[in-house]
Amino acid sequence: MDYKIEQGGDALKVYISGVLTFDDHERFKSVVKAISASASATAEIDLTETKMIDSAGIGMLLLANDRAKKAGKEVRLTGASGHVLKVIQLSKVDEIIPVAS
Amino acid sequence: MVAQPAHTPAPAPVDFDNARILVVDDLRSSRMLIGSVLKSAGFSNIDYAGDGIEALERFEAHEPDIILLDIVMPRMDGFEVSDAIRNRFKSDVPILVQSGVQEAEQRVRAFDMGATDLVSKPINAGELISRLRLHIERRRLIARLQSYQKRMEEELHSAEGMQMSLMKETAEVEAITLPRQARMETFYRPSYKLGGDLWDVFEIDEHRFGVLMVDLSGHGVSAAINAFRLHMLAERSEVDTTDPGQWLARLSDELYEILPIEHFATAFYGVFDTRDLSLTFAGAGAPTPVLRRANGNVEHLDASGLIMGCRSNGHYENQRLMLQPGDRLCLYSDALYENFDTPDGALSVEELSALIVATMEADAEDGFTIDLIKRVFGSVPESFPDDLTILMLEVLRS
Repeated sequence: MDYKIEQGGDALKVYISGVLTFDDHERFKSVVKAISASASATAEIDLTETKMIDSAGIGMLLLANDRAKKAGKEVRLTGASGHVLKVIQLSKVDEIIPVAS
Repeated sequence: MVAQPAHTPAPAPVDFDNARILVVDDLRSSRMLIGSVLKSAGFSNIDYAGDGIEALERFEAHEPDIILLDIVMPRMDGFEVSDAIRNRFKSDVPILVQSGVQEAEQRVRAFDMGATDLVSKPINAGELISRLRLHIERRRLIARLQSYQKRMEEELHSAEGMQMSLMKETAEVEAITLPRQARMETFYRPSYKLGGDLWDVFEIDEHRFGVLMVDLSGHGVSAAINAFRLHMLAERSEVDTTDPGQWLARLSDELYEILPIEHFATAFYGVFDTRDLSLTFAGAGAPTPVLRRANGNVEHLDASGLIMGCRSNGHYENQRLMLQPGDRLCLYSDALYENFDTPDGALSVEELSALIVATMEADAEDGFTIDLIKRVFGSVPESFPDDLTILMLEVLRS
């Protein structure tokens, strides 16, 4: 997994590329931190370039969402397609984290 | 009171004194010189050999912690000794070869024959002691790591046995399903000793039995501990398991209480009833079950649903499926189609479904689950990238 963080107009944008799995646990911590620490009330996690996600990867998104909520912010998932979109649809994660199409 | 000066104890030196050192040199004067250097550095457990043959005899009699080896010797030279220790005795004892600065070719050959390091000849006391200490310490560190690893492996192995015993044996499954007009085939393999998959088949009453398949997020030890926790929750006899949606909702609420935010479970739970050959089921984000009807029609069931343990009061919809004798249903965990090493090699539902149906129709001798694994992976791999569970339920004639 690789990530890029940009401060957008009114939202923090986090671009996740590659494969988001168990092995990315440590790296993803910086994403969680950046979201909690950002000045924006909203963080958009862009999954356009995310090829696959495993259960641990979904867990990381849940963690980011939880930490953001506790800091009074909102996380949105955008751009999911292919395998990632299927996992989101199957697991109904959109009932926990808002998914923008 | 007299103030004591601040005293910081020096780190305890590694105990080298009892390291057993075998000194191999054909010149008695060299052996004596090396011996005295070693003794003055605090080493006391020293053994000597005057040529290669004697060196191997001493080695066999009592394996040393390190060998200081000369190359040019009568009867058998240092290269042969080194080669024998590595290839005949299969020992990884550090071998320090004494080598003159000029002998470049010898030095390369020494490493080829299994030397660990070189010390210059004639002996330089300071260098010799430093290198000895380095290699003795390194060897002891490796030995400690090996023993730690061995202990962890033994513990994981025993935990693996405990986890395997959560899953029912074929005879136990048959005792439940066969009197209820069904048979099942099962397969479970953790990716590494411990896993987060769990399946169970249990009787509800004389007409019904339940089929549960769960995949705890992640893998390894933490997923396995969560699988044990879920197994305990699922085992309680006082809980009503006849309504799949309600039961999953209850399990999800309980998991929500005990799991960390980033952990969850996917699940499929179905109740088979012999009175009308119905399967009532609910899904919590489980991979799409594949049903092949006796007449050859193929249906994909919807086992999507909020993953369990993420929030309280989740809702799980019941679905009811009417079955016929000869209908076969396959449940599986995501390890069967996901491929994280080559994401483009992952199977789509349609591709996997075609393989499942072909397997059902082939009725291979080694059984459904093994034949399916062969079709998906090409062979039965030693290990899978993730925990793999496959369940196949077939409705029998009455």
